Amino acid sequence: MNRSSLIGGAIVIASLSLAGIGRADTMSYADAVTALAKDCGADIKKVCKGLNLGNNRIQDCLQQNQAKVSPTCTSTLGQVTASIQQRQAAQTGFFKICAHDAAQYCGGVKGEGNILACLLNSKRVDNGKCNQAITDAGWR
Amino acid sequence: MFVRHLRAGLALGLLLAAGNASAQQLNNQQLISTLSQISKAAPVIDPALLTQEANANVGKGVAGQPNWSQLANLSQLLVEIDFENDSIAIEPKSYRTVGLIADALHHPNLMFYQFLVVGHTSSTGDAKHNLKLSQQRADAITEALATTFAIPRNRLSSVGVGQEMPVDPANPKAADNRRVQLINLGRIK
Repeated sequence: MNRSSLIGGAIVIASLSLAGIGRADTMSYADAVTALAKDCGADIKKVCKGLNLGNNRIQDCLQQNQAKVSPTCTSTLGQVTASIQQRQAAQTGFFKICAHDAAQYCGGVKGEGNILACLLNSKRVDNGKCNQAITDAGWR
Repeated sequence: MFVRHLRAGLALGLLLAAGNASAQQLNNQQLISTLSQISKAAPVIDPALLTQEANANVGKGVAGQPNWSQLANLSQLLVEIDFENDSIAIEPKSYRTVGLIADALHHPNLMFYQFLVVGHTSSTGDAKHNLKLSQQRADAITEALATTFAIPRNRLSSVGVGQEMPVDPANPKAADNRRVQLINLGRIK
């Protein structure tokens, strides 16, 4: 092996790991709303009494009453909203991103849950985009 | 699809969180594995008929009604979701439980299945009011799942049964009776 390919390899690895640091990990829905309850629970009970989680009511109420809401809550609300969207996008993206690997390694497998289980067991998926998609979707 | 979850003598109706603190201990894997124990003999349930039976039996109980008595044969679990007093607002401390349900319902093992949320109250207060409030609260849970957590609306239905099906018939006023049943109604047609 010559020297330039070694360096090339090192650069590829370094940029991959940088990309890994730069990309925020997605969070489960449960963890996202747990953060919301922890940092905004008191504010919700104070300024959004009687309102429910559905249809953006809590989000809208906290935003409309930002002056009365703690800065921690406002910042958490933004993170939680972004996190839920990321997780949703990752879960939707899984089928497209993993379609090739699923066809290649899990051809005869029927059922979405079984295909996921097969991909999780397939060592060959380990370093690819599909592997990352499974992690981002929270299905590991 | 779920052959590996199918066992003889399915533990249907597994009680995971009747106690106070234990709702927090629910985890994603438990939810998914409990809810995906599908029996081939599972009855087909029409939520509209459940509502009819509940409305026609206020104060009399529904345990013996034809549709309500079928529910025990479906894959399900009990969760505790707390609401503000006499309100449809879910308490922030129960957001996590709703989020856990959302995580489970989005998982590939369950993503093409329909779920029924059944709201129950204790017998404290007026039976008719309890029935109405439990229906509104069950609706509030499915609304949160369908909007905030992006579960397709056609996978969710909700029914309130008020105080008519106590988990503890000897103590209908006990807090244990306030609970939410999450029931797998089978694969989307």
